[in-house]
Amino acid sequence: MLEVRHLTKVYDDGTRALKDVSFSVPDGEFLVVIGLSGSGKSTMLRCINRLIDPTEGEIIWNGVDLAQLKGEDLRKARRKIGMIFQHFNLVKRSPVLTNVLAGRLGYTKSWNSILGRFSTKDKEKAFEAIKRLGIENQTYKRADELSGGQQQRVGVARALMQDPEMILADEPVASLDPVLAHSIMQYLEILNKEDKMTMICSLHYLDLVQRYATRVIGLKDGELVYEGSKKDILAMTDEQFKNIYGQEAERVGGGLEGDLSVQEGGEA
Amino acid sequence: MTDDKLQLGHVPEDAREPSLVSPPFAALASLIVPGFGQGLARSVRRGMILFFSFLTVVGLTMWRFTIAAPRDTGWWAIFKKGLYLDPFLIIVTILVAALYIWIAFDAYSLSKDRAKTPMGVFAILIIMFFALGWQIGQINPVSFVSNADEALPALGRVGWPWEKAIDYDSVIFRANADIEIPCSDAPPAANTVLGDEPTLISTPTCGNLRTQEGDLGTELHLEGYNFTPGIEVAIMWEDPIGGEFRQRQGGEYVVTIPDENGFFEIDIEMPYRLLPPSATDPTYTWQVFGQQIAEVGDAKLSDDFKKIVEKMIETIFIGMMATFFGILLALPVSFLAARNLMSASWITLVIYYLVRAVLNIIRSIEPIIWAIIAVIVVGLGPFAGILALVLHSIAALGKLYSEAIESIDPGPIEAIQATGANWVQTVVYAVIPQIIPPFVSFTIYRWDINVRMSTIIGLVGGGGIGFLLIQYIRVLDYRSAGMCVWFIAITVAILDYVSAEIRVRFQ
Repeated sequence: MLEVRHLTKVYDDGTRALKDVSFSVPDGEFLVVIGLSGSGKSTMLRCINRLIDPTEGEIIWNGVDLAQLKGEDLRKARRKIGMIFQHFNLVKRSPVLTNVLAGRLGYTKSWNSILGRFSTKDKEKAFEAIKRLGIENQTYKRADELSGGQQQRVGVARALMQDPEMILADEPVASLDPVLAHSIMQYLEILNKEDKMTMICSLHYLDLVQRYATRVIGLKDGELVYEGSKKDILAMTDEQFKNIYGQEAERVGGGLEGDLSVQEGGEA
Repeated sequence: MTDDKLQLGHVPEDAREPSLVSPPFAALASLIVPGFGQGLARSVRRGMILFFSFLTVVGLTMWRFTIAAPRDTGWWAIFKKGLYLDPFLIIVTILVAALYIWIAFDAYSLSKDRAKTPMGVFAILIIMFFALGWQIGQINPVSFVSNADEALPALGRVGWPWEKAIDYDSVIFRANADIEIPCSDAPPAANTVLGDEPTLISTPTCGNLRTQEGDLGTELHLEGYNFTPGIEVAIMWEDPIGGEFRQRQGGEYVVTIPDENGFFEIDIEMPYRLLPPSATDPTYTWQVFGQQIAEVGDAKLSDDFKKIVEKMIETIFIGMMATFFGILLALPVSFLAARNLMSASWITLVIYYLVRAVLNIIRSIEPIIWAIIAVIVVGLGPFAGILALVLHSIAALGKLYSEAIESIDPGPIEAIQATGANWVQTVVYAVIPQIIPPFVSFTIYRWDINVRMSTIIGLVGGGGIGFLLIQYIRVLDYRSAGMCVWFIAITVAILDYVSAEIRVRFQ
């Protein structure tokens, strides 16, 4: 259970990115955060794993306030929270294997990681994760030689290596084309359903939101403006979506049903 | 007022306000104070630019006149003498006048038609500065072309110096004849030819030296026998106190080449020579001799060549060691000079600014100056050169490295941090992989620069081939200097190639 209470973030330049945001996420939920660029989605996700320090508020996760953690305790908490990024944030010159193994750094002693020594178990785990994401042919290639979709799979594999209980995904498919977007989202769904990982994911497209979310929150100018269940979202029309979201909102493809059938046929 | 935007067509032309005065008045105003008319036509910025440009141009021109005619006083005298001594100043003067008139014309057309932005005045201004630059730079293509042939012999030697790379062992043949100065009752007997021995016969065998007052010395007719055919014979003297010197005639050393029988004959005038009085009284025997240096044995590499190779190797290692220490010291410095790493608190920010300032100061002073300082500290030799280059390398690499650190992608850093990695792990897994290519590239580039610079450092005594090069140039030994230049060029070319290869590998 993740509980965010009165989360506020004011940047040094005075920008108020988050204004008193409160919500809670039960374990195993697939929470989608929607909102325009600059509405505070990224800031909120980064506050949860403390890549950004919140100005005010509490982030209670499994009974611990993440906002108060420091040093070793913070790093221990971070290893249980995987993160996936819009621009993948891979180390481009390093091979895929190294990028995936980097997910294990929180569990590795500094000296061993400096020398590039990971345990046999970690390596097996990395091969397994790479296989699970279907990129085993790319294991030894440099990350920048991969296509966008493949790079994001490396990003997912890296997050998997952490054995996370929760995954934060910051617009994971915004840099990918629609078909690839669905395939990445399906991996996240599998992790959510089969591996029981809590998922907090920011998305732009209404059909993706309707297809994958079990709950949705909407942010606008740093304020929480919408909260809805799966039922609410499915009932939501484009018009409503645009009202919350702004006029830029769009569907990825020809609608929910059509996309699903194409995807299921293609992936099977 | 929108005047500050009116110049150079920043404001849409139809949006301009009309001129405050009539065109002739604007022109008159600009004749009185250049640029003033433009100001009255509501182009204040343009007017200011023209005013200060004109002031600068007039100031520079006056300065050039005083330089051209330094001995004259009074403006009119200086002006006339300047024009007379440096005809190019005529062109400059005409251009100043043209500029002055054109500024007035510009004011006229500017206030007449507000929809136009005449640019002619700026063209004149650019030509004006170009003309001044030509005059100040004392550019003289005529001398460049007409004096080129004087440089050709030296250039030829520099261009193809390799005769000097080969050397032979040599033997000296010498034949002398006694000359009595001044003539006594019994002058020495003339030599006779004995067998195959080189022999020099002088007629007469006594005489007087040329005097300081200009009285001519006695003319001697020299005949040489049994010299080696085809090899230059130098005519030389040995005075009574053992000093040897070469015979000069008309400013040139006297040499002759024996025919196929080893015979030569030549007339010389006895030279002037200042001697202590004890060596001139009453009569003394001098010797005149012909000297031949013949090359024998196989060709071998000359000492100069060997020395140049040694110094070239020294140079490369100076560059290498300087780069090595430069990297070692620049690495820690660069982290202190990277803004993204040092902006955490005001203390680190102060360190950042301090380090940056020191690096900038060190970098702005040329390595050759540092070499002069280093020579004072540690004396002549390669170590001084290394010190100078290390100092400059730290500053240059520190700046380049820190900029590479500043420009890294923050994405991977936050991704690695998000996995629970600590600071060291973040640096090793997210920062270092990103900075390796620029670091390698900058480092190779610096090595390249350091080897090239170490040739220059030598000029001021910092060791290496530059030291040798400047010595050869000073004794006018253009062949040896040419070899130095060749070696430097070859080394730099190889280095260029190697560094390009390495850079490609590390992309």
